[in-house]
Amino acid sequence: MTSSPSDTETHDGGAQETEAPEHPLQGFADRVAEAVGGSPEIQFDTVKVRIPAEGWVAAHQTARDDLDLVFFSWLSAIDWSNQVEAGDPLSEEVEERIELMTALSNVTDGDLVVMSTDLSHESPTIPSLVDVYAGADWHEREAYEMFGIQFAGHPNLIHLYLPDAFVGNPLRKSYPLLSREVKPWPGAVDVEAMPGRNGSDEPSTENPEA
Amino acid sequence: MTLDADTIRHMSETSVSIELETEDMTLNIGPQHPSTHGVLRLVARVDGERCFDVRPVIGYMHRGYEKLSEVRTYPQITTIVNRIDWVSGYANEVPFIVAAEKLMELEVPERAQYIRLILTEMARISSHLVFNASYPLELGAATPLFFALRERERVLDLLESVTGGRFHPNFNRIGGVKPAYASGSQTRKLAQDLPAGFLQETRDAMDKVLTAVDELEDLVAGNEIILARTKGVGVLPPEVAVAYGVSGPNLRASGVAFDLRKTEDYLPYDRFDFDVITGENGDCWDRWHVRLQEIRESVKIIQQAVDSIPSGDLQAKVPKVIKVPKGQTYVRAENPKGEMGYYLVSDGGNGPYRLKIRSASFSNISILPWILEGILVPDIIAVMGSLDFVLGDVDR
Amino acid sequence: MPGWVTDLFSNFWVSLGGKLLLVALMIPLVGMIIGFAEMKLSAKMQARVGPYFAGGRWGWAQLIADGVKFFQKEDIVPTDADRPVFKTAPMLVLVGTVALLVVIPFGPNLIFRDLDVGIFYALAISSLSTIGILMAGWSSANKYSLIGGLRAAGQLIAYELPLVLAVVGSVILAGTMSMQGIVQAQIDAGYPFIIFQFVGFGIFMIASLAELSRIPFDMPIAESELVMGYLTEYSGFRFLFFFLAEFANMFTLSAIAATLFLGGYWLPGVPEDVLAYAGPIILIAKVFLLVFAMIWFRWTFPRFREDQLQRLAWMWLVPLALINITVTAFLKVLL
Repeated sequence: MTSSPSDTETHDGGAQETEAPEHPLQGFADRVAEAVGGSPEIQFDTVKVRIPAEGWVAAHQTARDDLDLVFFSWLSAIDWSNQVEAGDPLSEEVEERIELMTALSNVTDGDLVVMSTDLSHESPTIPSLVDVYAGADWHEREAYEMFGIQFAGHPNLIHLYLPDAFVGNPLRKSYPLLSREVKPWPGAVDVEAMPGRNGSDEPSTENPEA
Repeated sequence: MTLDADTIRHMSETSVSIELETEDMTLNIGPQHPSTHGVLRLVARVDGERCFDVRPVIGYMHRGYEKLSEVRTYPQITTIVNRIDWVSGYANEVPFIVAAEKLMELEVPERAQYIRLILTEMARISSHLVFNASYPLELGAATPLFFALRERERVLDLLESVTGGRFHPNFNRIGGVKPAYASGSQTRKLAQDLPAGFLQETRDAMDKVLTAVDELEDLVAGNEIILARTKGVGVLPPEVAVAYGVSGPNLRASGVAFDLRKTEDYLPYDRFDFDVITGENGDCWDRWHVRLQEIRESVKIIQQAVDSIPSGDLQAKVPKVIKVPKGQTYVRAENPKGEMGYYLVSDGGNGPYRLKIRSASFSNISILPWILEGILVPDIIAVMGSLDFVLGDVDR
Repeated sequence: MPGWVTDLFSNFWVSLGGKLLLVALMIPLVGMIIGFAEMKLSAKMQARVGPYFAGGRWGWAQLIADGVKFFQKEDIVPTDADRPVFKTAPMLVLVGTVALLVVIPFGPNLIFRDLDVGIFYALAISSLSTIGILMAGWSSANKYSLIGGLRAAGQLIAYELPLVLAVVGSVILAGTMSMQGIVQAQIDAGYPFIIFQFVGFGIFMIASLAELSRIPFDMPIAESELVMGYLTEYSGFRFLFFFLAEFANMFTLSAIAATLFLGGYWLPGVPEDVLAYAGPIILIAKVFLLVFAMIWFRWTFPRFREDQLQRLAWMWLVPLALINITVTAFLKVLL
């Protein structure tokens, strides 16, 4: 679905835009960014606010109390890395970091904001959010075991999914997908054409106009 | 209280000494258990019938979806994503496809959107009927199980006639839905639409489902024992619910009128008229009641959609090899279990760079330690059943 | 009857042997019939067919097949279990049931032994099963069984009292505790005692459901919570004992209810000499009605929680039963 521009409000006091109409969530994004002290961006209908790591907990506190973003949706991370063991590498080099994200929303209009901050790639640490949002508990445990992020002040930072004895952080790009080590991908079966309806060997007719 | 290895594995027994000093017992509920909806393990410390510390242990079903999606192409991910919440199979695919289409800035044909909406609502009816079947069974009433599952067969038959699959339809394609082909070599190259008679069959089936919901309500709702077992049990205040990220019927039962179908635009719900059902107290009764009424609302939506479905293409023009341009987006949808969302980070390749799957049941059961504190052992089962989670959704 | 038959059976040992044989045959037979009825009736209530393949289209051989299956299973005793207690528990439960058969009157002269304290004996001996259940729960060395056993202890002891008190009304009306005497009193009065003792009848039925640990009172078993409660570790032969004991107990408790409240083997309008032959049939018909009601309740209601169950017994059933006794006694004296 395309993002449909709306002709309703402009939050900057009535001054009309001369270029493309403003995104309907722009006002919301600006409000959030101003309150928590970050920089907003809207990508494909998703409001993202980048925050420096020092103000992480305070920003969430403000979001919960002042901006009415009481619904804690999720917390996770992205491992921006130039060396990948599984999957395709990035098309252009990036600065290696772990980007920690939370998604908060209100329960009236469903306005959602993704708060994001950057952590060091080797040893990411950040204070825990459990005192602000109780639901961050399990999400932080998952981020801890999948990415190796240390959450200072978390009451119970142990493995959530993985067995206690598991070593390594699976969602890091440096963690290989072990089954790929054993059997290379794609296997021969996967590039073979789908058989036709009567058993003939014609290629798939799924997108005839393509 | 820290749970170290010794505490968890310690099996203490009740002992009666001269001073009548009793110890509490550590009871493992699960992972193999009739009522835990899958392989969920609860480590409960109980004192007689009252438990005062419950820790869920999850991960028995962790399949590594997020890592797996980094090594798959977009059409391949569509095939695996409907196995996250397997009870409502179709509804899991939709937000992912919408996220990919958003990044590609594709316009999905109207007819495809309507079909997606009808099938999603059928998935919702199916999931809520499973809940209505299994929840009274956990309380001890065995009969609603059969009635509810019998009605569910009607919906699954409809799903099968369109998509070919009952639980894992794999019917979405980037840009629309799968163009269904007729059998036979003559019509192989022609795209054929929904099966003939599908719309009328849907109308008939929806009428029968409505009758069945009335029957279920009669059978279960007025029953004094069910009321005694569920009223006032497992009360979830709305502030706690939102702080933990509880969504879907669980949140609405606590009185928060938040339905993503009204606030999000991943499917054309704004064209249809339906109510958001809320409960009053947030106890098990309300959670049951909200789900039962939501079946009625879904039937309403399907009836309206079936009457107003436009004609047109089933799929937009997409290249044979799907490459999604660079970008990040988060699409959230109202799944039967709650909010399901996909945060898609794309780098312009065949597959995503990172796909974060926000599953509803994961957040829904994170409140278990809070809500099960100081509760009686039979009520553990009542509360867990009322949260309606699926382990595939929890563990991904 | 030919002379040599009556002479044969007047020998004490022969008649004792005959009675023992009859009891030994009756219990499995009754258990199987009622079990089969449960399967078929529950299927009808649940839009299913029930047993279909075993023994032709009706599936009547299903329970025979089940019995054989249980017999030939491996006898598993958990390592940590208390072996003698574990093995004796099912026997005690079955004994509690079988011993009840002694005092049920099937006809004017068809009773195994017409004790003077018939009903008193019946209630006392049925408590033996409670001990058996406790033994099963404790000796299984399994936490779920322990919880089930403890729940059973609480529930069964709590519901003994309403069971006993409910019966007293009928005894007052009859003036005797002997089972034959009670039926005779109903014959003399011309109406079954349920007309005045409907409260007692209701309490007795509820309490007997609780004694049987059937839904809505099956907390001790609570399949969806405790796997099988005190029965978890039992398999094969020993499980068969419990299984049969439950169904046979349904029969015996319903028979006691039929005798005390519904007139036993007598129907108004049936002449005395016919009763000798038609009596058992009439009694079994009444028993079947009550058993049908029990099966119906089981598949309609969910289960009570333990504290709700106890509250029902102590705060509702016991006071009601006491009021019933008081009113009956007053009316008996005044009228």
